[in-house]
Amino acid sequence: MMNAADAIHPLALTAGYLMLLIPLAIIHWYRVPMLGQTISSVLRMTIQLILVGLYLQVVFRLNNPWLNTAWLLVMITVADLSILKGAQFRFGRLAAWLFAALLVGTAIPLFIFVGVILTRPEILDARYVIPIGGMILGNCLRADIIGIRTFYQSIRTGQKAYELALSQGATIAEAVRPYLRESIYQALTPTVATMANVGIVSLPGMMTGVIIGGNDPLTAIGYQIAIMLSIFTGTAITVFLAILLSARSAFSPYGILKQAIFKT
Amino acid sequence: MDNAATNPAGNAIVVDKLTLEYGTQILFRRFSLIVPAGQKVLLVGSSGSGKSSLVRCLLGFVIPQEGTIAIDGTILDGKTVWPLRRKIGYVSQEPQLGAGKVKDLIQLPFTYHANAHLKYDSSGQARLFEQFRLGGALLDKDISELSGGEKQRVALVISLLLGRSIYLLDEATSALDAEAKAAVLDYFRQRPDLTVLMVSHDTAIAAIADRTVTMSPVTAQEAV
Repeated sequence: MMNAADAIHPLALTAGYLMLLIPLAIIHWYRVPMLGQTISSVLRMTIQLILVGLYLQVVFRLNNPWLNTAWLLVMITVADLSILKGAQFRFGRLAAWLFAALLVGTAIPLFIFVGVILTRPEILDARYVIPIGGMILGNCLRADIIGIRTFYQSIRTGQKAYELALSQGATIAEAVRPYLRESIYQALTPTVATMANVGIVSLPGMMTGVIIGGNDPLTAIGYQIAIMLSIFTGTAITVFLAILLSARSAFSPYGILKQAIFKT
Repeated sequence: MDNAATNPAGNAIVVDKLTLEYGTQILFRRFSLIVPAGQKVLLVGSSGSGKSSLVRCLLGFVIPQEGTIAIDGTILDGKTVWPLRRKIGYVSQEPQLGAGKVKDLIQLPFTYHANAHLKYDSSGQARLFEQFRLGGALLDKDISELSGGEKQRVALVISLLLGRSIYLLDEATSALDAEAKAAVLDYFRQRPDLTVLMVSHDTAIAAIADRTVTMSPVTAQEAV
């Protein structure tokens, strides 16, 4: 059982907001066109986190497996919509396939982490499932946006090469192989780079949290290694499944990429 | 334009009353064409008359609003397009062969499931290279190092090695010098078994064509 971290008094957080005056001054002074966007993002972050904090207090107190699962599904749904927005795709069938990919990509490493590595008897314990699920999901979301966008945009821009492969007898799966390879590479590269530098360039979030929670660094390292492996596994599964599943509705019976999936 | 009948056997390509529009732009309306097996047809016309789009329709890359296409007597649709593509060799003006070494890209189509019955013929490849004035050293080069003309000839070699019976050549010799172009045209002239539909602005190609078909842009008056 971990120790509780010291609580931060809301008034003490004011110092944190005052710290913001430095970057805001730089942005303002050099007229970087993001002043309004930055203020809006800080406000959104604050409001969202307050609401989530209040909600999670209830969720943690009740610690009901069904409620925890429902919250995970809400998180996945929001991530799903963010991917469609971030990758500039239209809603529709793609949303369902991406949701399925996120669900599987998050659930597999999450349950291995909680059930097998941490050997928690209650796999759906809110204290573990929600924060760990959130960390895996957040990374899956980022990787999925890169992966999906790279995949479909590169087929779109490399239409001639794709069509030539079809004319040479390739099935859709065979013709998209170079694009699939490239998109998985692009999507996983940030996580691979993070794993290579973790602990040297920065102390990652999970490790920091465990240390602040009052545990020794070696315990924190165990958690960090487990979360990095979970994140990498989750992102790989999600990106691969997202492409594999969404491709079922993204191509016409003639094997041609439907332009209707793109917003622009 | 030809008057296309239904799809009698013996015709490699039958285009029947095809209409293709992109939004408000009409590329061709009720266009018909019959290419009997073994015939070499040159397709000419001004820019925007829809020549390349017609070729893309024949491959199922563009779906016309009206009309039918039959390849070797089989109507092209979402199901038949896959086996029908295996009858067609396609080379465009700027073939995008992918990335990697030339020898790997030549062999790549032979790894496709649909071509599993075909065996890569290295001696056939060497013969075609020699015939099309391509040096053997090219095989070890990266495709990005090749000139436009070399890429066109490599694409032609790949399509010929795949043993297709119908060839759609969309400005496929545009980047070749006179000697290489003559070599390619000679090859097709000596192959009466191959049906060839060539799109070109080059009048030299007319020399090997059995006939020339002119496509005209649909005028505003016709479009009404």
